[in-house]
Amino acid sequence: MPLGTYKEALSARSTDKKILDVSQDGGIVSALLCYALDEGIIEGAVVAGTPDDDWRPIPTVVTSADEVIAAAGTKYSMSPTLSALKEATRQYGLEKIGVVATPCQTQGLRKAQAYPLTRFVVNKIKLMIGIYCMENFPMASLDTFATAKLGFDSLTDATKMDIGKGKFWLTKDGEDSGLAIKETHGYEQAGCNICMDYVAEWADVSTGSVGSPDGWSTVLTRTDDGESVFKAAVDAGLIETKPMDEVKPGLPLLEKLAKGKKDKNGKERERRAKLGLPLPVEY
Amino acid sequence: MKDRVVISPTTRQEGHAELVMEVDDEGIVTKGMYFSITPVRGLEKMVLSKAPETAPVLCQRICGVCPIPHTLASAEAIDQALGIEIPKAARLLREATLAAHNINSAAIHHFLVAPDFVPEELFATAVDSVSNIRKNVQYVVDMIAGEGIHPSDVRVGGMARNITPFAKERLIERMTALKSDLEAHIELIKNCVAESAEKMGMPEDLGVVNQPLLAVHPTYGVNEFDMDAFSEVLPEAWYDDPEVGKRGCSVIPLINGTNVETGPRARMEKYQGFKGKGVIAQHVARADEMMKNYEACLEALDAIDPAASARADYDPRGTGELGFGIIEGPRGTNAHMAKVEDGKIKFYSAIVPTTWNIPTMGPATEGFHHEFGPHVIRAYDPCLSCATHVMVVDDEDKSILKNEMVRI
Repeated sequence: MPLGTYKEALSARSTDKKILDVSQDGGIVSALLCYALDEGIIEGAVVAGTPDDDWRPIPTVVTSADEVIAAAGTKYSMSPTLSALKEATRQYGLEKIGVVATPCQTQGLRKAQAYPLTRFVVNKIKLMIGIYCMENFPMASLDTFATAKLGFDSLTDATKMDIGKGKFWLTKDGEDSGLAIKETHGYEQAGCNICMDYVAEWADVSTGSVGSPDGWSTVLTRTDDGESVFKAAVDAGLIETKPMDEVKPGLPLLEKLAKGKKDKNGKERERRAKLGLPLPVEY
Repeated sequence: MKDRVVISPTTRQEGHAELVMEVDDEGIVTKGMYFSITPVRGLEKMVLSKAPETAPVLCQRICGVCPIPHTLASAEAIDQALGIEIPKAARLLREATLAAHNINSAAIHHFLVAPDFVPEELFATAVDSVSNIRKNVQYVVDMIAGEGIHPSDVRVGGMARNITPFAKERLIERMTALKSDLEAHIELIKNCVAESAEKMGMPEDLGVVNQPLLAVHPTYGVNEFDMDAFSEVLPEAWYDDPEVGKRGCSVIPLINGTNVETGPRARMEKYQGFKGKGVIAQHVARADEMMKNYEACLEALDAIDPAASARADYDPRGTGELGFGIIEGPRGTNAHMAKVEDGKIKFYSAIVPTTWNIPTMGPATEGFHHEFGPHVIRAYDPCLSCATHVMVVDDEDKSILKNEMVRI
């Protein structure tokens, strides 16, 4: 099953204009975090923020809806988000924590929860929101895309960054410049080439743009906790949904990309295994 | 006729030591000698030639029973050796951490002495009470210092981070809620000690010594130490019995040429006007001090400005002067000293609380029946976990060739 275990797949969008103004797609991550914060399901969350507006993601602890909205939007470089988890459970004094994590980070968290290695840290995580991720780029790669490939003076000139319709997009002065995804190959971090998880299979709820129309997100609820938070946010009117079979391109595209990642990276894993290189265990 | 009673190792204490008592025909102790039989600590040597930040990380591993005083003493010694003045917020965070830890450690001691004093019908209550108190005060240490044991966030120059207003509020709330439980615990322990001491016929003046007191602060510590008054002698020179002198593992630290008493009773007498000496008084002082530490912890928490910086910038090259971190741990004065030159630790030494008490504890058993000996020792809450056992193992088959220190 390329999408992992899930309870329900829906196309969804935040109903809050404040969120939609800043969100990457349907604003599901922000809407869920805001709802969970307001309802006391979590007291704070660990997310990737960009405090300096230079596209460099910085692990950030947020404890209010305003802070969630300030950190909204996808970052296309690696964020060592989990490094802020300890601080959140200590000097921030948070007992119930949300985490926004890439597939590799959800794997790490679930492993940490399964093994008795961390004390009073991962057991405080009450909501794990996974985001779809094909691969991730070091900051130097993003700089290269902006300056060497798209002719920008600097990456900081870009006002929006997106990946969609087969291209990596940067927006400057209201104008979109696209770089074919093919052109980005080789610039991703090496570990991404052996990752088998596109849709954060181990999260409580996973979300991303693929499968839904522009401005909407595809949501996979996976655990009881994830489902109950999502449903409650829908019932509270913070999120509107459509069945997946009513939207284009729909679930088949998500399945195709997830399977594509597994196939391609499965081959790379085999190649590396043949060379005698170490491989992380895949669950 | 002279007889000898030897308890090796002494029990229900942390780490291993031996109590040798010479007794007369009535079983009354005429000479008491208490000495450590665990020879190696080594951490002071491991940090030599390393970066100054290494010291608090390694030296907190001196002990898992009172890691907080060791971390703080080490950080304070390095702070001074680098000429750092830590921010006020950092000092308050450290004070709150130590006060909370000292409550925790006193509670652990109550668990250790419970079989001496707590009647069977109250045993479960006492153990639950110890657990409840530990859980709450360790929470404070966790939140401020990162980990309850071996804290990661006490750093050279202050603390890794200040706490947030939310965390401050939560800690104050939790500590405030603990007050009635703590009062009940102190009452319970004091009553149990009083009642069972009477029942077992424990003499009121058991363990009374008149040694000078060593205490530098009611609840925290200082960065000064009178090196002129301080001296050390080897156990061979201290103990009359050459065999004991040979086997004793810790040097004997002296102030103005004499052995001292350190610990909760010393602090309570020096700073809080506590009256009373001996075993029962030591237990009462330790219990009462929990409330003093509780107040100190809340006071520090209350005074913390969460917006302030908790860490100072510093030059890691070092002043070349000896820095002192003299911290009042649960069992007494914990003295760490360090010298840093050219960014490397050139000298490091730690005199841990029980080391001060070792020469005082043996003679404290004198004049009473030897059966009270262990009570006298436990009243000091000795802790020698900082030292390690040594044995000789065959390289080939790993069989033990020599293991003469402790048999348990």
